[in-house]
Amino acid sequence: MSHAEKATIFNKNEAKVNWHDKALWYVREKRDNAAHGVKEWEYLRDLASAIKANVLSDLDTYLVEFEANALKNGIKIHWASDAEEHNAIIGKILDDNKAEKVVKSKSMLTEECHLNPYLEAKGIEVVDTDLGEYIVQIAKETPSHIVLPAIHKTKEEVDELFQEHLGTKPSNGNPEYLTNEARKHLRGKFLKADVAITGVNFAIADTGGFVVCTNEGNADMGSHLANVHIASMGIEKIIPKEAHLGIFLRLLARSATGQPITTYSSHFNKPAEGKEMHIVIVDNGRTEQLSREDFRASLHCIRCGACMNTCPIYRRSGGHSYDATIPGPIGSILSPGKDLTKHSSLPFASTLCGSCSNVCPVKINIHEQLYKWRQIIVKDIKQPMVKKSILKIAASVLAKPKIYDFAGKSARFMLKHAPRFMIYNKLNAWGKARELPEIKNENFDQWYKINRKK
Amino acid sequence: MVQNKQKEIMGRDSILKAIKQHKPDLLPIPEIDGARFDDDVNLLDIFKHNVALVGGSIKEVDKALIDIEIKKQFPHAENIVALNETSTLGTISVNKQTDPHELATIDLAIVNGAFGVAENGAVWVSEKESIVRVLPFISNDLVIILLKEQLVLHMLQAYHKIATRDRNFGVFISGPSKTADIEQCLVIGAQGAMSLTILLV
Ligand code: SF4
Repeated sequence: MSHAEKATIFNKNEAKVNWHDKALWYVREKRDNAAHGVKEWEYLRDLASAIKANVLSDLDTYLVEFEANALKNGIKIHWASDAEEHNAIIGKILDDNKAEKVVKSKSMLTEECHLNPYLEAKGIEVVDTDLGEYIVQIAKETPSHIVLPAIHKTKEEVDELFQEHLGTKPSNGNPEYLTNEARKHLRGKFLKADVAITGVNFAIADTGGFVVCTNEGNADMGSHLANVHIASMGIEKIIPKEAHLGIFLRLLARSATGQPITTYSSHFNKPAEGKEMHIVIVDNGRTEQLSREDFRASLHCIRCGACMNTCPIYRRSGGHSYDATIPGPIGSILSPGKDLTKHSSLPFASTLCGSCSNVCPVKINIHEQLYKWRQIIVKDIKQPMVKKSILKIAASVLAKPKIYDFAGKSARFMLKHAPRFMIYNKLNAWGKARELPEIKNENFDQWYKINRKK
Repeated sequence: MVQNKQKEIMGRDSILKAIKQHKPDLLPIPEIDGARFDDDVNLLDIFKHNVALVGGSIKEVDKALIDIEIKKQFPHAENIVALNETSTLGTISVNKQTDPHELATIDLAIVNGAFGVAENGAVWVSEKESIVRVLPFISNDLVIILLKEQLVLHMLQAYHKIATRDRNFGVFISGPSKTADIEQCLVIGAQGAMSLTILLV
């Protein structure tokens, strides 16, 4: 199913879509407030972007340095070329430790590798302990947002799920009651877990340590109680020096939720006495993305979610419409790199308004990259298929009065640079609803520079 | 098993090889001009403001009156771990060998903070201060004792301060644990401590 078709399903419940739209916009506004309160915010973004560019240009050296330092500190290092190897490595660590119960905290990488079904098939109990992830796990769904996994669920839906799975009383979706019930339930899981699996926000080459950021404290409850801690990281999570965390941690939470920093920023350098700590370093398509000059910068991503919160299409189509682990604007760059045919509609799920690039803390040129994918897709993939998906996007997502105003701003750009059939087709919602303005003869770079200044 | 190990070695080599092949020409590490972040502000005021912003409570107290203040705030706490040298409220002692699971019923932990960060209300607590890593998370309520002069403005300075530490485990704690995963309603008290109180001495 294309993005547009899935978006149409999400749009059936108009009240929910409106809520989703507003809730995420509110998070975007909180981000703005937080960013404006920081002296030299733009300088921070420049530094973060330049550090990430340096990392990618010397990634093998940094990974080897990281490995050597981590080994010195008694951490065990594993390398996985793909999802299958990642899962097999974790499976083996669990076997070696005769582990039966696993607690996990938010890791998009383990989602990407489909670790849960793999472990469950081995008869292992896996519990996602981030509240949002727990909700989607018991609902047998996937996260619809990388920072707010259950943003697509109403509190009434959560209420029903908890009644079924935790035996809670009907509460009309009282968030305090439900959160507290989950807390009690998850405590039991933390205390009994044999192994804790976490993600990694930053891995530091010059110390061999890594940092995990959460608001709930679930990564720490898991990793400090279980005998074995396994942290999974993509190769791009490396930063050169610990001092660079001073840049990234100032940007991450402010961009994500508007908090000045997450509640817990935990720095793991050595296993506790008598315990084991493992790191699995995963490629799974990242080196391929590194080879694509136009899309390389997508590996700068620190997974803050800001580009999702600000995206008019994401807000009104929901994360599941992207049918990928990472949804939204950044996901629409990453996913086609993995499977161009399956994800060919994603780069069109954008108005190219550039809002994503403007908020991105590591300054990824997201909308330019989306445009570049479009050019490739129009060339490489059969036209009728592309055409169908574009028209449906226009019809299903943008044919709402509210979004139309917003889309208008970028229509000019679309007209000039969209494939001809998008504009001069009588079914095209863009063309149908408005007089097509004349387009001045700017090239992309000029347009981009001018519009960035506005 | 042997096969598995071999596969991993292949994984390592093939990943590193692919990176070498695909990486762009070397780009420089940027110099960080720390002076650009300097700001002539009152650290204590900003720190207090931000601790409140992130849902913590903060109070200046006389060092001799710490216990009185804590008792006032947590009159029902029974299982208490106190790792601050002037507090005598501790009912349970811990050491490096303590099984973290034994701390599941702790009502209150009183630990020292190494220093605070004004820009985000965070306090650095390492294994040196908490002895058992899980303590500040598993305790129902958390009190951090912090010297008022131990404040830095921002995270770049914070990392400067911990640059030469003994690296095992450490955490910046900013407020009590929280979540907004149910319809974006902020709920204080998720999986970690339900409350955070900072006492400045
Ligand atoms: S692309 Fe940028 S804005 Fe989007 S999640 Fe990644 S870091 Fe955040």
